[in-house]
Order: sequence, then C-alpha cells, then structure tokens
Amino acid sequence: MATSRRTTKKATAPESNEAMFVGSMPVTSELAPFQILAPDGRPVREDLIPDLDTVEEMYRQMSRLRHLDDKFMLLYKSQKLGNYAQFGGQEASQIGSAMALDPKLDFLAPMYRNTAAMITHGWSLQNAIMYWRGHPEGWRIPDDLNILPIIISIPGQIVHAAGVAMGLQMQKTGGVAMTYIGEGGTSQGDFHIGVNFAAARNAPAVFIIENNGWAISVPRKVQSGVDYLMRRSEGYGIPGYLVDGNDILAVNAVAKKAVQDARDGKGPSLIEQMTYRIRPHTTGDDPKAYRDETAEPKFWAENRDPIARVRQFLTAEKRWNEDREVAMKAEIESEFQIALDAADAYAAPDPKALLEYVFVNPPQQILEQQAILASRILEVNA
Amino acid sequence: MSQDLKQMTMAAAITDAMDVMLERDPKVIIYGEDVGNLGGVYRITTGLQKKHGEDRVFDSPLTESGIIGTAIGAGAVGMRPVVELQFGGFMMPAFDQIFSHVSRYRYRSRGRYSVPMVVRFPVGGGTGLLEQHADSPEAYLAHAPGIKIAYPSNPYDAKGLLISAIEDDDPVFFFETIVRYRDPKIRMDVPTGYYNIPLGQARIAREGKDVTIIGYGGMIQNIETAAEAAAQAGIQCEIIDLRTIVPLDIATILESVSKTGRVIIVHEATKTAGIGAEIATQIMEKAFYELEAPIERVTSFDTMPSPFNSLNHLSRPEAHHIAAAIKKVLSA
Repeated sequence: MATSRRTTKKATAPESNEAMFVGSMPVTSELAPFQILAPDGRPVREDLIPDLDTVEEMYRQMSRLRHLDDKFMLLYKSQKLGNYAQFGGQEASQIGSAMALDPKLDFLAPMYRNTAAMITHGWSLQNAIMYWRGHPEGWRIPDDLNILPIIISIPGQIVHAAGVAMGLQMQKTGGVAMTYIGEGGTSQGDFHIGVNFAAARNAPAVFIIENNGWAISVPRKVQSGVDYLMRRSEGYGIPGYLVDGNDILAVNAVAKKAVQDARDGKGPSLIEQMTYRIRPHTTGDDPKAYRDETAEPKFWAENRDPIARVRQFLTAEKRWNEDREVAMKAEIESEFQIALDAADAYAAPDPKALLEYVFVNPPQQILEQQAILASRILEVNA
Repeated sequence: MSQDLKQMTMAAAITDAMDVMLERDPKVIIYGEDVGNLGGVYRITTGLQKKHGEDRVFDSPLTESGIIGTAIGAGAVGMRPVVELQFGGFMMPAFDQIFSHVSRYRYRSRGRYSVPMVVRFPVGGGTGLLEQHADSPEAYLAHAPGIKIAYPSNPYDAKGLLISAIEDDDPVFFFETIVRYRDPKIRMDVPTGYYNIPLGQARIAREGKDVTIIGYGGMIQNIETAAEAAAQAGIQCEIIDLRTIVPLDIATILESVSKTGRVIIVHEATKTAGIGAEIATQIMEKAFYELEAPIERVTSFDTMPSPFNSLNHLSRPEAHHIAAAIKKVLSA
C-alpha cells in the first residue's frame, strides 16, 4: 500500500537522483517517491493497479483538464480571461488526490492553482471560466458544492481546512477536509499552524504539498534545507507520504489511504507530491527570465508527462488506441466549447455585486455607498 | 417577560452570556488559550468547561492565527465558534487571517459561507502589565470591511451585546476592558436568562444640552466622572456610549450634535487615524453647519501603549483630561 516514511526504503524502481531533481535541487536522499507506474507507463507495482475503468476515467479527466489549461492560456492571450494560474503538468497530482474524496461528504480547501482539483470535486467548467474572468457569478460557490473559496494569499487555507476538519469531526458527519499548498507555501507560519492544529485535535484533514519545484522564480532549495518536506510530518506526529506526483495511480492510492484514515478517526496526514511546474507561474509570468526552459522544464514535459504515462499504460493494456483518442478529444473540445459559449452568453456582471455580501445586514455606511454606486450605474447607463 | 435579576460584574455578565448561549445553541463552541480547565487568564470562562463538557469548551494550541483561522473553517461548516484571545495585543499574529480571510470570506464566496465567529479579548491599560497587554486595536479592525466591533461599557450591555454577537452571522470582535472586569462601581442588576441588545444602537448614557461626549468601553466611566464634575459647574454633558463601533450609530450622534453643537470624542487607542477621526469626519460630512466649535479628540498619545507603567496615566485619557477638553470646546 501507500508508502509511509518508515517503509519508503522498500519502494522499488527508485528514480535516479538526476531524474528527480526539482527546481534545480538534485535530491539526494534515502527516500524515494512512491510509484505504481514508471514514467514510461510500465507498472512498478502490478498488485496496486486498480480496475481499468478507473484508470481510463483518470486518463480522460487529465486529458479534459489539460485541454482546459491550454484553452485558458489562449483565452488569456486574446484577452478573454484574466490573469490565471496554470496547473498544466500537475494534472495527476490534483486529479488523483481529489478523486479520493466523496464530493457529498468531503470538503476541498483550494488555493489558486487548484482549478483541476476543484473541477474534479464538482466545479463546473463554466464556473471556472467565469471565476477566472472575474465575473461575480463565477465567484459564487454553489450551495451543493463542498468547496471553500479559492485562497490567493499563501497559505490561509491550511488553517481553514484544519477548522473545517474540526467542525466536521464535532458534527460527526464522517467528512474529511483536503487542502493543497505548493512547496513555497510550506515556509509560511500558517502551514505549520494549520497542520499542527489538526494533528493536535486528531481532526480529519489531508494536507497535500504539491512540490512543483518553483515559487514563481524561487527554486525549491531556497525554501528549506530538508530534502523532502513531508519529513515534517514526524514533527506533528502524523503519517507522511512521499509520492511521485506525476503518477496518478500512486497519488490516488496514497490519497485514498489518507482520506480513509481521516474518516476512520485516525487523524490527518501530510502528503508530498513530487511534480513540476512546466508552465509559467501564471499567465502573467515569463519563466525565461529566471530559468532555462530547455533544461528542466523541457525534461519534465517530455519525459515525465503524467498523461502520456497513463496513455502508454492503457495502450499496452489494449485499452486505448488512436481511434479512441480522437473520439475523446472531440468530446472534450465540444464540452469545453459548450461551457465557453454559456460563459460568453452569461449576463454581464451586475455592478451591484461590488457592495453585496460585505455584511449579512449592511450597516449605514454600506447603504450610503450602495446609493452612490446606484447613481454611478445610472450615469454610466445614461 | 419577567426575568430574575442578579448583581453582576462585567466579568460575570460576560461569562453568563456564554453560558446562556452554550445552553441554547449546540453549535456554539468556545476555545482559546487556557479557556478550558483554567477558565482563561481573566477567568471569564470559569466553570463553562465543567458544565458544558470538553467538546464544547476547550484549550487550543498556542496560536492566535490558528484560533481565528480554524474558526473560519469550523464556521463554514456550521459551527458557531466563540474564541478568546488572551489579550487584544496578541491579535497581531492573526492579522493575515483577520484581514485576508475573516473580513472577506462571505464576500469572496458570494454569501455561500458566513463567518459567524465571535473573537473576545481583554483590552486597555492601567493594569501594570507587560507590553502587548494594554493595546486598543479597534481602529485596525474597523478599517477591514466585513467585521463588526462591539465594545461594552457595563455588565448589562456586555451580556446583551455578546449574546447578539454570538447570534450574528457576521464576525464580531468583542472588546473587554480589563480594568472594568471587576470594577465594583459598575456592578449592576443583570437579567439571569436570555436577552439581547442589537448591534448598532448607541446608548445615551447621560442627557445634556451643552456638549456631546462620544466614547465606548472602559472610557465611559472616565467620561461620566468628567461630566459629573462639569455638572457641578452647571455644564450639561450628553454622553453617547457607542456600544458598537461597527455598525456605527451615526443617527444618534447626529441627533445629539444638532442639540449641543459641540463634540468631544474619547478613546484609549492612539490618535492618528483612530475611531475619533472617522466619527469627526462623518459629523463634518453630515452636520457641519450644526457645529459651534471645532471637534476635540481626547486619546492616548501616538506611541506604544503602556511602555512605562509609571508614566502611563499621562497618556491614557483620564477624567481631568476630558474635563479640560470640555472647557476648551465650550470656550471656542
């Protein structure tokens, strides 16, 4: 089963140090990330491969969201989307973990790069488009969706997730809170505060570090002197896992274990998923200013792609072929286009949204400002 | 509805409010540093854990950011957290959670998530304690949209306002003046059961026609003392006890200003960009032509609160500082 820090030494087919370097940090460690599929799609752990329907579902979801990430960049370039934080290349890390949740019971506490995890947990493509356009109705979180607001400043959501877990525990709902942070965010005090709080209360939370090597231009090695950040789990007295974040089967297996443990009253877990930010930090970032795009990023894009890995596996299993690929791509494109059309056709933002939801019952100052806003709207419309 | 009355200090009234709400609403939980077994450093939660159990009233890890950040999450999934910070000055480690999240969470989710938390903490100086044990942080909070601020001056108001704060779906920061916790001068009869005082309604603590003195919290006693002395000299002060700073009951203030034409604003917090500046500006915007004299502010100096206990009384507003201000606005 999933590899804890005590058993990682047993993991087979460890990546070479060269292959696992992340953010210019060659990792030299006795630990090796847990894998089920090797980067070329060959099974490392035959015994842990789930049924092929599940693997195909994972493959389809990763393909669907890679397409979305590509499209979002194009929409940004044509000024039809605001500044957007890409996840392309981290599909396995987000989808594999979010698929371990029960959307009816469990809560997701996302940060800005978690569009893929959110959609996997039930966010609609149309809402995602509208959110990243800054449309107020894209910001509205539907009542039937157990997702907390996207957090931009780093890493408040870690503490919120601890609180959600505590609240679910008190109400005995059986639910779990899952949250994400990049490797850079682990340097913040609130990372420690949230994980420690949940651990101290044995609250049902799963904390995921998506180690993609880069905090904008700052490489992993600047953040901490430790080889793997999941080692901090020992300081909290909770299980820690080191996973190949581009192996969706491994990510999903470990996340399922962590979620089940949380549900069973065994408290939180800390998972470090080794992945790579092959794309810019956001659509407004130019990585050429700080890293050699032909070196590490190219290596990861060409040799560690999480989608290609599963496709190679499914092809070898005779479960996938070019015809199915073509058919799937047509479906994906059509689904995205329908969502985009719906977002385009959606009513323009109501300017009154500016002053809604500040308070449940707006005090005098807000009422006065609402009146000023109303007169400005009239001026604009006149 | 007739209710039994009981003599209570401010401290007892606050404890009673939490007891009443723990009884009424199973979603109410109380946590913070030392609030369980010990009952908090000022013993305001004394007895609550024993009565309501460790699941409802419990000690948290020593982390203000953790206390407030987790209260956001617990509130988002239906709990009603009433958390205690040991001192108002210990709020600073939680500033990111307060400004980035507490104040914005409802807005950010377009109403899907409320932040029904209450954050209680002792404030103010005159106690001979250490640095960060005498702060008055209301102006920082008032600047963050989405946060309500309650600042009671007496036991009856403290209980009624705290009950309203706990029932409110917006976050309420609840200021408790340390030197008034057990001040025998403000002991009073308080109903023993449930009652509330709406947030946003100021109280006319004293009626008068000559000068309006606006204040809140522990400063109301100092203002009363000054007003009493002024009355001996035939000057009638009208005292407005704001009770809540957000929402601000500007209507009550304007009504009084239109009667007196002279205004003094008193707070223990530092002067620059303080609550006094906001109130004075609103009076200028809405009642400029009612004024007979420039508005006067009596506040602490713009320096660190309580750096030297032996000199503190020269900075924090005392009754005679307020008396001097009364003289000044009346001679203008």
